[in-house]
Amino acid sequence: MHGIRRYWTVRTLVTQLLNTSLLVLLSSPLQAQTAREIIDRVDRLLRGESSRGRITMEITTEHWSRSLDMEVWSLGVEHSLVRVQSPAREAGTATLKAGQEVWNYLPRVDRTIKVPPSLMMGSWMGSHFTNDDLVKESRIVDDYDFEISFEGEREGVEVWEFQLTPRPEAPVVWGRIDEQVRKADLMPTWVRYYDEDGGLVRTMTFSGYRTMGDRLVPASMLVIPADKPEEHTVLTYHELDFGISLDESFFSLRNLRARR
Amino acid sequence: MAHDRLWWRVAWRNLWRNRLRTLITASGLAFGYLGAVLVVGVSDGMLVELIENGTRLMLGEVQVHSEDYLPERNMHHTIGGYEGTDLESFISRITSQEDVSAAAPRVYGGGLLSSGEETQAALLMGVDPDREPRVTTLLSRLVSGRTLVAGANEILIGSEMAEQLGAVLGDEIVVVAPSSDGSLGNDLFTLVGILDTGIPAIDQNYALLALPDLQFLMAMGPTRIHEVVITVGNAKDSPRIAGALREFLSDSELPVQVSSWTDLRPELAEMVSLMDASHFIIVIVIFGMAAFGVANTMLIGTFERRREFAVIRALGTAPIGIGRTVVYEGIVLGVISLIAGALITWPILVWWHNSPIDLTTVISGFSVAGAQWRPVLRVEYSVQAPIVAALGLFLTSILAAMYPAWKATRVPPADALAD
Repeated sequence: MHGIRRYWTVRTLVTQLLNTSLLVLLSSPLQAQTAREIIDRVDRLLRGESSRGRITMEITTEHWSRSLDMEVWSLGVEHSLVRVQSPAREAGTATLKAGQEVWNYLPRVDRTIKVPPSLMMGSWMGSHFTNDDLVKESRIVDDYDFEISFEGEREGVEVWEFQLTPRPEAPVVWGRIDEQVRKADLMPTWVRYYDEDGGLVRTMTFSGYRTMGDRLVPASMLVIPADKPEEHTVLTYHELDFGISLDESFFSLRNLRARR
Repeated sequence: MAHDRLWWRVAWRNLWRNRLRTLITASGLAFGYLGAVLVVGVSDGMLVELIENGTRLMLGEVQVHSEDYLPERNMHHTIGGYEGTDLESFISRITSQEDVSAAAPRVYGGGLLSSGEETQAALLMGVDPDREPRVTTLLSRLVSGRTLVAGANEILIGSEMAEQLGAVLGDEIVVVAPSSDGSLGNDLFTLVGILDTGIPAIDQNYALLALPDLQFLMAMGPTRIHEVVITVGNAKDSPRIAGALREFLSDSELPVQVSSWTDLRPELAEMVSLMDASHFIIVIVIFGMAAFGVANTMLIGTFERRREFAVIRALGTAPIGIGRTVVYEGIVLGVISLIAGALITWPILVWWHNSPIDLTTVISGFSVAGAQWRPVLRVEYSVQAPIVAALGLFLTSILAAMYPAWKATRVPPADALAD
């Protein structure tokens, strides 16, 4: 029983990780009390849980800072769609993730463009997220081995710390990922991404845990690149609903182009 | 002194006692001179060809950037910072410098090109369609179409890129590039020309836009540029000219970095200095061979005159005087050979320089150290090569005379007469 529990805790972690990615953040299976409940939630999630939310992305770099309001839809871990609502100059700009592909819609030229493999590590919308962040989460179960590197109290809170190491053949960009999760509510607190030489690349920090839709989520996510600590991207959820009626046809190129 | 002149006259007369032998030796040295100058000239020609092919296509011979632009090529690090600089006056300040032939501004960006279903990552390069042809040949490497017109949203792409995009002339290309304000610049451009430089890295990855068009796409003002590319009179002089320009620009408020192609392409510079050094080896080998021929002839000449030397010794001449006349013979021979060598070398050099030998029909071009090399054997004029070769010739004739001269001083008066 203990073994199963542990296994499914890791599975839960996986889904947590799925959620750490900006688009999939929405579909958290949370407040899981028992292994059975977690199994149920994870299975439901993987079978295709849907969500819709409104987020603000604030980006601060050495040279400029900007804020984008966006509407986000997701279905399972394979599909998501993000559409910029403001500023007006960029309204309508949209990103579609379908499986391993990322497409952008540019209203100014009225074209959809598939992000080529060479640019998957490029910045998404000028933020400190990469296009790869949008797609890679759905593969994390396949690509990484998980182990608990720490279990106990950190700053008065019972936590697990997990270490994810890529499997030998896995086509991944990170050399290692560390994540801390609160035991009480399975909320992630931070995720650290390391390169192949073990150097820290970026840190994601979660905060603003509150109930949105029908569950507890970290409403705010902060990304700080290790090589430019004065820069950051903050993603904040204003609205989040789960279990809305969406099917895969919503995540089509045709819908990507539809201006709203 | 009068005594010395006598020995010179003796040397001169002795040389012409066996006219044929002297002429053959002199022509050997003269052809050695011709060979040395031509080989160095051709090798120099290949070098200049290599440098020009490495620089004239795109690099230029000297580049000016904001001091923090290289090596990261961060798009925000424009010359003069966020404010930029008055482009016209900056360029004319540079071109006012002696040795600067022309200068052209550039802007760089990275982005996506999309045509139909196909999308490719590209390096975007904003060029001034009027000034760029004065510094590089990039805009003339069109296989089809025409060059850019500023302000008309036109684009040129490499032949490989065109193939990957499946784009043909007249197609609309979507260009997407991160802007300097953080937004995603995007616009439609008309494909007006396709480039074929022979350098895969360029033909696959580059897209050229008019400078103001790319500045607008990337939300950069017209004062903001990343690079000024400069051509100079003599590519080999670039480091010196870059140094002078660095000095000249250092008094302005703009913190700039001036680099010559030797800084930007160190592997090419190393190759050039290696080949430069090999010129001396060529000269040493050619005259080293000649030296033994000359020494042999003169040694025979002195052996023939053993009795003569013995008589002169017997008449009271110091051994050094006999040695001296042999060395003088060598010097006079050197002068004659040098004059003859110069007379045959110059016409050939001038003719070759003006009509380089084109081997394109025999071998096709290839690239060396990332620079396209045309199979053209051209000869460069150089001040150094004829002087070094002349020195080599002269040293050869003197050194070759040393051993025979020493032998001559060893001729004992009585012993030789007894033969």
